[in-house]
Amino acid sequence: MTIARREVLGLGGGLVAVLSLSQRDVWAEEVVEIRMQGRADGSHVWFDPIGVLIKPGQMVRWTNFNPGNSHTTTAYHPANFGRPLRMPESAKSWDSDYLLPGESFSVTFTEQGVYDYYCVPHEQAGMVGRIIVGEPEAHGGWMEAVAASRGLPDEALKAFPTVEEIRANRTIR
Amino acid sequence: MKKLFLVPVLILDSSVCAIAADEVAKAPPAAPYQQVSKLVKLPDFLPGMGQLFVDPATLPAGPFLAYDHDGKLASTIYMLPTKDLNPDKSFDNLAAPGGNVDHVDVYYNAGHPGVEEPHVHVVLWHVAAAGEASVAK
Repeated sequence: MTIARREVLGLGGGLVAVLSLSQRDVWAEEVVEIRMQGRADGSHVWFDPIGVLIKPGQMVRWTNFNPGNSHTTTAYHPANFGRPLRMPESAKSWDSDYLLPGESFSVTFTEQGVYDYYCVPHEQAGMVGRIIVGEPEAHGGWMEAVAASRGLPDEALKAFPTVEEIRANRTIR
Repeated sequence: MKKLFLVPVLILDSSVCAIAADEVAKAPPAAPYQQVSKLVKLPDFLPGMGQLFVDPATLPAGPFLAYDHDGKLASTIYMLPTKDLNPDKSFDNLAAPGGNVDHVDVYYNAGHPGVEEPHVHVVLWHVAAAGEASVAK
């Protein structure tokens, strides 16, 4: 399902300017940007947005905008440290490894479904995210409540936006 | 007689502290301290803290020695997991090689490579509050 690639971007004005331009709307059809962020003192870390609805074939790009920390985007999948499956069974998992400030990682999603992911060093702090691709069936068996909760810290479970919220709003911050 | 005995002991003790503080005053501190960014994937210089060194055997509490851009020791930092701040655990006799302390900050940290669990930073600043600017960025 995915082609993953790693990029190093400058954190200077160029990228910020690009993101803030009206071009962002154009980009939204192609690349969905998710920022890895954190307070200066490290007291809070998060993905922004935390929930997105995208179309099959769209690319998501995560970039570390946190100058004092490193982050990962890692799918909940047994291939990643034996973590529980919280994404379509037939889709390929991903793990960016640690991204230093300014570094990016991209994944193209082709299969419909709900994909949950986390940041390896910050799962306990509730740094997780959810991507919905297309219009998956409401009860596709991808995430039964009990199985989904197994092995996840409470802070992570509390942080996920609901599928309904994401469907209704497209983007959840 | 007791007083006469105590005086040389005190002199010896304070001189040992002085030597220890001198040895870590400039980066890099001697082994077993190692640069944190060489041990885990973190930026070499952390805004608000500086360039960190730690003896890996002392993780997660530390002490971490934090240096400014000129390699001058700015603070000594302890990282205490919040789950370990309970009636059954304590952190005793942590080393404090940095010498004089001007002031102390205590604040929550959500985690980072090296100390992934949420923890508390206890920061012994060896510089005045205005000197914190040297590691701000």
